[in-house]
Amino acid sequence: MLRYLILVLLVFGSMTLYADEWRDITEKARGQAVYFNAWGGSDVINDYIRWASDKVEQKYGVVVKHVKITDIGHVVSRLLAEKSANRTTDGSVDLMWINGENFKAMKKNKLLAGPFTQKLPNYRFVDTENKPTTLFDFTTPVDHMEAPWGMAQLVFMVDTARVSWHPTGMKELLKFAKEYPGRVTYPAPPSFYGTTFIKQALLELATNKKPLYRPVAMADFDRVTAPLWKFLDELRPFLWRKGKAFTSGAPEMKQLLNDGEIYISLSFNPNDASNAIANGELPDSIRTYVHKQGTIGNTHFVGIPFNSNSKEGAMVFANFLMSPEAQFQKAKPAIWGDPTVLAVKKLNGKDQKMLNQLPLGIATLSATALGKVLLEPDASWVGALEKAWLRRYQK
Amino acid sequence: MSSLGLFPMVTFACFLSAIVIGLISTWAQAFGYMPSLELTHFSVTAWQQLFSYPGFGRSIMATLISGIGATLTALVFTFLLFAFSYHNRFWRVLDHALAPLLAVPHAAFAIGFLFLTAPSGWILRLLSPELTGFSTPPDWNVVKDVYGISLMLALVLKEVPFLILIALGALGQINVQGSLAVGRSLGYEKVQVWVKIILPQLYPKIRLALFAVLAYSLSVVDIAQILGPTTPPSLAVQVFRWFNDPDFEYRLLGAAGATLILLLVIGSIGLLYLSEVGIKWLFRSWLINGQRRSRFFLLTTLSNFFISALVGISIAVILVLLVWSFTWRWQFPDFLPGDWSFRFWGKGFLQMTDPIWNTISTGIMASLLAVFLVIGCLENEIQMQKRGRKANTTKMLWLIYLPLLIPQIAFLFGVQVSLVVLHLDGFWLSLVWSHLLFVLPYVFLSLGPVYRSYDQRITDVAVTLCRSTWRTFLRVKLPILLRPILFAIAIGFSVSVAQYLPTLFIGAGRFDTITTEAVSLASGSDRRIVSVYALLQMLTPMIVFLSAILIPRFYFHDRKGMQI
Repeated sequence: MLRYLILVLLVFGSMTLYADEWRDITEKARGQAVYFNAWGGSDVINDYIRWASDKVEQKYGVVVKHVKITDIGHVVSRLLAEKSANRTTDGSVDLMWINGENFKAMKKNKLLAGPFTQKLPNYRFVDTENKPTTLFDFTTPVDHMEAPWGMAQLVFMVDTARVSWHPTGMKELLKFAKEYPGRVTYPAPPSFYGTTFIKQALLELATNKKPLYRPVAMADFDRVTAPLWKFLDELRPFLWRKGKAFTSGAPEMKQLLNDGEIYISLSFNPNDASNAIANGELPDSIRTYVHKQGTIGNTHFVGIPFNSNSKEGAMVFANFLMSPEAQFQKAKPAIWGDPTVLAVKKLNGKDQKMLNQLPLGIATLSATALGKVLLEPDASWVGALEKAWLRRYQK
Repeated sequence: MSSLGLFPMVTFACFLSAIVIGLISTWAQAFGYMPSLELTHFSVTAWQQLFSYPGFGRSIMATLISGIGATLTALVFTFLLFAFSYHNRFWRVLDHALAPLLAVPHAAFAIGFLFLTAPSGWILRLLSPELTGFSTPPDWNVVKDVYGISLMLALVLKEVPFLILIALGALGQINVQGSLAVGRSLGYEKVQVWVKIILPQLYPKIRLALFAVLAYSLSVVDIAQILGPTTPPSLAVQVFRWFNDPDFEYRLLGAAGATLILLLVIGSIGLLYLSEVGIKWLFRSWLINGQRRSRFFLLTTLSNFFISALVGISIAVILVLLVWSFTWRWQFPDFLPGDWSFRFWGKGFLQMTDPIWNTISTGIMASLLAVFLVIGCLENEIQMQKRGRKANTTKMLWLIYLPLLIPQIAFLFGVQVSLVVLHLDGFWLSLVWSHLLFVLPYVFLSLGPVYRSYDQRITDVAVTLCRSTWRTFLRVKLPILLRPILFAIAIGFSVSVAQYLPTLFIGAGRFDTITTEAVSLASGSDRRIVSVYALLQMLTPMIVFLSAILIPRFYFHDRKGMQI
């Protein structure tokens, strides 16, 4: 009996401790200014961040400033400069939008503040069971050092006004390119859009996928990737600009798709097409599709640098970004259309209903039609694939 | 007035410290010294990696074609315009357009130029489908071409107005009317006088500006990202990417590449200098052969055509941005958008208060400081001349030009690291200082020649009348020079507005300006909002230019001699 009582007390005590800790954090956060460094290339995303900032300012007295950048790499390299200058406080960045390679580099170089998501009340709603990429960012263990913000899955967009069919795999993409020469392209690695396209092609074409989930040093790189290069070599003469120029990423391809220069584009956001149609950026003849074997999916996060003076404010904002309210707003196709990281069944009845009743955009696939999510290959493959691609196509 | 002697020292301290610190830090990294990565041994690995990097040769080729090509073409056209169109009716158009042309920031111009000339751009939308038969854009390699030709063309269009501005300043020191009169009386055609007498005198006076154009064109990042080749990109773009790679090992490669760009600049300047000697030697007999008539009348047409093209394309660039900024939906091959919208302007204005304020306050502060320092330096020069000591103006000019001759990318990353170490980044004054670095040379360039040609006797007379040099300076000299001073401020302001890298690095993301907003939006896909910001980026300097024209008019409305 006594043992149970102690246990109950312990559980209860830890819960109050937990609540106390969060209360401390929100108290300290009040009045802090949080410099949130995030890509500023999308007007709808900027608007969403502004909305979220206003909310946290009202609710918690935290002032979030969106520092709009073109490439989070600048920020990582700036933090490295700050670390090398021994600036352990007063950092210029309080929160940043990261994932994948950037996270890996920051973790390796100890540029992150350390584990914090376990302290955030909303973290318990995150679907860590069915969305493994919330725990492993491009196979790098997250270890609570970044807070899941949104889900991404590679999807393709096709202009149905211009073509009557779309490919459902890389081999069919080749057939499509031969039928419509000059109307297919992909972004050049090392842009992460391009690298993802290459990884997707490799995952579809490789005869044995197992080596892709182990460090690249352990694999026979040439043998594993041979089908990929054969495919890209065959594709090249039929590419946009005959494969002599490549795009910089999905944003540029969206413009080309709107112009009709290309007929197929790609995106990491399954709602991108619907959002762009609602925004007048794309014609309403655009539809989304995925490949039969499934497409690569991952999660994007927010992380706190080691030398931020507003860590509490950053945590409060990260927590709010994970809240059902913010995730719901973000998932609306007309707002941003970015899929939620939360598990709907973990939420209360009202929030469940809210998220379940989200309208599906005109060009958005249903959850079942989106099909299987392929896991990112081991992070070590990124660099090796990029180098091999550059050696072949940037000679 | 011995305190005047401080001005050149303060001015150079501003410059040299930053550049020297930045360069040394970059060079150290290029040779493998980077303590933050626990790299403390001298090595040439980065250089080996650089030379064997995929596409290195083609990257260098595109860099040289666009950089040297743009510089030489801009020079040739500038000379052509002076020789064939000076003061004709085309020239008068150019004269009016010069200030707005200079005010258009490079990035905004490049965005508009892309909207105009891409295979899905406005020109083909105008011609399609009726004349071309295209219902979808053709797969032409016209922008972002492998050789950097489209990049080169955009650079030419942006650099010619700058060279003309500098040349106009320099012509003040050459007796143009006198040379023309004497030449004509000896039976030389006007063009022959220009080519044989005036241009050879003009060239040495604009040589440094030309070198600055060369250095800029070889190392430009923002325009090259928009219009340059992609696989491989030009060297500066590649270096910029390496510096920002999350894998820090690439920083060493970036530092080596940045140093190579500096070497390319130095090499190209040397080459240009050598070809000067060669051209001099080749054309000496032609210059004095006494030939009075010229057979280049076709070139007059070309020259006039170029002025029309320059002004026409620039207007079209602004127009296409205007149309895009009011667009809701616009598809190829429609000449105008199918649906229009005011939404992006409305949004732009609502969210612009902070960026506009930062842009204006930083720009005004930097250009005022620059004018203050430049006037101080010039007064010191006059003072020294009075005492019979010849001020070494050439040496000084080289120093002033230094930030323009050394590519930004070769020292800015080093400066960033140093400021972080000193805990000076992220302050508004540091930001102003970093802008001053680039504003000051341009202010000096535009104000220097006019200031030096001021008739010192006016001051002498005034001093004998009021017995105060200070009052004379404030009440007589400054008002007389008000017009060029305001113009110099406007030039300085427009240079400040266009700064992207310094604002981002030195400002530590604390100060968003119209340019940082515009550049970050340009990395996205929405042409409409990008156009709004690009136009705002043009508008702010244009308003300052307009004030520079209107303020003297208002101020001098009751002084007949000061009106134009």
